[in-house]
Amino acid sequence: MALTGETFVALLPELVATGFVILVLLVGVFGEKNVGLVVGLAALGSLAVAGSAAGLLATGFSGSFFGDGFVVDSFALYFKIIVGASAFFAVLAAARWSGETGDAPEYLTLILSVVLGSVLLVSMRDLFGVFLAIELATIPSYAMVAFDRSRRESAEGGMKYLLTGVIASSVLLYGIVLIYGVSGSANLSDVAGTFSGDLSPVALLGLVLLISGFAFKLSVAPFHFWTPDAYQGAPTSAAAFLSVAPKAATFAILLRIFLEGMPEAARTWTAVVAFLAVLAMFVGNLFALRQRNVRRMLAYSSVAHSGYILAAFAALRGDAIPTAVEAVLIYTAAYALMNMGAFLAIDLVGEDAKSFNGLFRTRPALALSVGVFMAALTGIPPFSGFFGKAWVILAGAQTGSVVVYVVIGALVVNTVLSVPYYFGIIRNMFFEEPIAGEPLPSTAGAVRFAVYTLAVATVLFVFFVGPLSALAGASGLL
Amino acid sequence: MITTVTIFIPLLGAILMLLLPDDERLMRYSALGVAAVPFLLVTYVYFAYGDDLGAAALTQDFTWIESLNVGYRVGLDGLGFGMFFLAALLTLLAIVASWDVRENLKQYYAILFVAEVGMLGVFAAQDLILFYIFFEITLIPMYLLVGIWGDENRRQAAIKFFIYTFLGSTVMLAGFLAFGIIAGGYSMDSLSAGGGLSRTAQIAVAAPILFGLLVKVPAVPLHSWLLDVYVSSPTSTNVVLSGVLPKLGTYGIIRIAIPLLPDGVQPFLPYLAVLGVVNILYGAFVAFLQPDLKALVAYSSISSLGYILLGAASGNAVGLNGAVFQQVAHGLYSALLFILVGVIAARTGTRRIAELGGLATRMPWAGGLLALGALAAMGLPGLAIFVSEFMSVMGGYTTFPVQGVLGALGIIFSAMYLLYMLARVIFGPIERPAYEEATDAGPVEMAAVVPLAVLLLVLGIFPALLVSIQRPAVEAVLSTIGGS
Repeated sequence: MALTGETFVALLPELVATGFVILVLLVGVFGEKNVGLVVGLAALGSLAVAGSAAGLLATGFSGSFFGDGFVVDSFALYFKIIVGASAFFAVLAAARWSGETGDAPEYLTLILSVVLGSVLLVSMRDLFGVFLAIELATIPSYAMVAFDRSRRESAEGGMKYLLTGVIASSVLLYGIVLIYGVSGSANLSDVAGTFSGDLSPVALLGLVLLISGFAFKLSVAPFHFWTPDAYQGAPTSAAAFLSVAPKAATFAILLRIFLEGMPEAARTWTAVVAFLAVLAMFVGNLFALRQRNVRRMLAYSSVAHSGYILAAFAALRGDAIPTAVEAVLIYTAAYALMNMGAFLAIDLVGEDAKSFNGLFRTRPALALSVGVFMAALTGIPPFSGFFGKAWVILAGAQTGSVVVYVVIGALVVNTVLSVPYYFGIIRNMFFEEPIAGEPLPSTAGAVRFAVYTLAVATVLFVFFVGPLSALAGASGLL
Repeated sequence: MITTVTIFIPLLGAILMLLLPDDERLMRYSALGVAAVPFLLVTYVYFAYGDDLGAAALTQDFTWIESLNVGYRVGLDGLGFGMFFLAALLTLLAIVASWDVRENLKQYYAILFVAEVGMLGVFAAQDLILFYIFFEITLIPMYLLVGIWGDENRRQAAIKFFIYTFLGSTVMLAGFLAFGIIAGGYSMDSLSAGGGLSRTAQIAVAAPILFGLLVKVPAVPLHSWLLDVYVSSPTSTNVVLSGVLPKLGTYGIIRIAIPLLPDGVQPFLPYLAVLGVVNILYGAFVAFLQPDLKALVAYSSISSLGYILLGAASGNAVGLNGAVFQQVAHGLYSALLFILVGVIAARTGTRRIAELGGLATRMPWAGGLLALGALAAMGLPGLAIFVSEFMSVMGGYTTFPVQGVLGALGIIFSAMYLLYMLARVIFGPIERPAYEEATDAGPVEMAAVVPLAVLLLVLGIFPALLVSIQRPAVEAVLSTIGGS
């Protein structure tokens, strides 16, 4: 195995991320708190990751490296773009806040480290590599959640996240080891050979543990308990970023493990996933209905959305597989736009649902943007979230399996179930009077730019969905 | 091209409204100007292309999502044209009638224009997914119009409306998606007469689609969102809410459910006719009991929508033509009555029938036009409703005699409650001295209602003006279901 020039090209997004991690940290140490420069570098770094991945995608680059342990295909590159682009918005949102804490370089380094872990993750074809990359993405995120020293909830959320995260990692690792034990190899193509026909009890246990570990990371019920506390405590930019980028990468690698590593065992894992999907939708939405704090509401909403995406996994059967893969790709992109926007708006308005009251009268443009995010999260056309859900329904309808029909039915029911809390925010913004004497938080231009850009993208998604689905069709997976 | 331009001009208008300075006169006149453009374009289409709308004309077709064969496909045909025209007309008149909206005027117009995009688009869409998207585009604007500018009860009314109709349309979308997957595309053209689906598959797909469309109408057991919303809304919102939105449902039945899934709809047709009759009779009975003039008009509207369902269910040329015609006629008369209720409430300070009386002397014009609208609603010959209710009942009777007879009874009931209302509101003594001073409708109010009254008369005397346009398209529908 020689390190050729091609290997470096294949590793371009990872190398760029590594370079900027080091650069931002060093500039922070020697740059005498020049926040503007650090933020600029971090923003440039995340754009460069997305840009290099986009460049590779445009040239049609693909191949496998390091003994088939690292693979570059358009599927992986697609998720690298999502990760890089969401990191860009997270950096913008963090700019002013992290400058005020005096620890901007450290915080931004953490964001870029999560980026590095996530872009590595989506290219892994070796289960131990998967584990390492997940940890590389997760460990900095514990620190990100606990980073806001001015709020006790931040430390509390970080602690809960860390403890459950460590358990999740060990469960995941245990599952991987069992699968390795059965297959004699951790490489997905070797695993595929052993995961066929009837699964041995050990293999089944390994599979269940693997899925449980992933469910923790994806905050899928019943493994979601860390999510509301972590997202409530975390700095807004951290909650926005962590609910989107590493999660998209984790969904991507789970898809790769299922389709490349155990396609013959699809009957088993689609059943497990179908159960988890339905549970996550109901738990997420029913708990979100009760929240008055917008952070916690969005945290539970992210549990529900993980359920919606898992519903596409449940549809990975027979003829429906291409559509289900498209559904995951489209949903994660749509979700990245609308969910980041919704989280970041908290910095501009406030975390109490009441602080949104009368926003339509005081700041119409912002109210309109938040309205777009909420409508998109509900799944109303023509906004981005609708296409995610529509593709999941499409994929489910193609399977011809009653179990999947039940999952799709649950998705439809849950979509309606989620209307009261998303539209509760819209009602507060448009129908209520502003609460007198409560000034809105002073806002940084960068956050406003991020929110408005995301709102426009959420609206214009309708024009990109055609090309996106074509891209997904040629995703390289399968 | 002209179709696309007509649909999306209001969107530009919405953006324009938000950019205007806060000057009330300027905003009102600009909104009128914007709303006039689609109306003039549709009028032009009527005179220039009215004769060849048998199949979709003035079409545009872009592939949008290639892998699913979803396209931006629009065009006008005889089934949709009447409502396309009415949507443009009623938005224009809603803006004339928006005198009771005083706060946040520019946002009001902007939101109304976004709703107009959806309303126009639905009646021009030639692709199922596009139809659904336009269908839903009306949802949030209507929610906001009711929720921001409605009366005290507006919040509950708005969310109830939203949840009901969103549930319906989501179920409908599931039906559309399943239909397209099995048939391999979403173009209405290619899906004609089942798109190759077996009878069982058609029934399975037709059920959720019909459910979603019937919630939108609303058909009676699914109607509980309607009263609160209609009563809470400002007058100008009522105009589009009652004049156009129910037809999203009925048009869907006539344009999508019946011709695209003929075998699947077949077993449901008798029940659809029953639902129509239930709407007619239930609406009429409940209208009789209403103490509030606006609630009476709302139930009268439900009753009158029943004829569309009955005519559509008949599956013969007379009934179907009646149903398509009734969509327009219903829009004209319900908009007329809602505006007049708004005028009367504003001038007298009350909508309670018991407190009104003797309007004929105080407000001869408004009272007279109310009488005209009520006479139209009860199907007086010479006014548009007569033509379509008669045709719907005749068509319904041919196919389903029992339902047809019961539907005809509805005409008698509607005469009863409407005449009883007129007796109390228009005639009789002036009950309250408070509005002895009430003045008659002014020029602006007259400008909002007179066009509707004139159209009711013209279409009542010359129904061929509209029937000639819709007939070829109706025949095309009949050919898919094997009727005559």
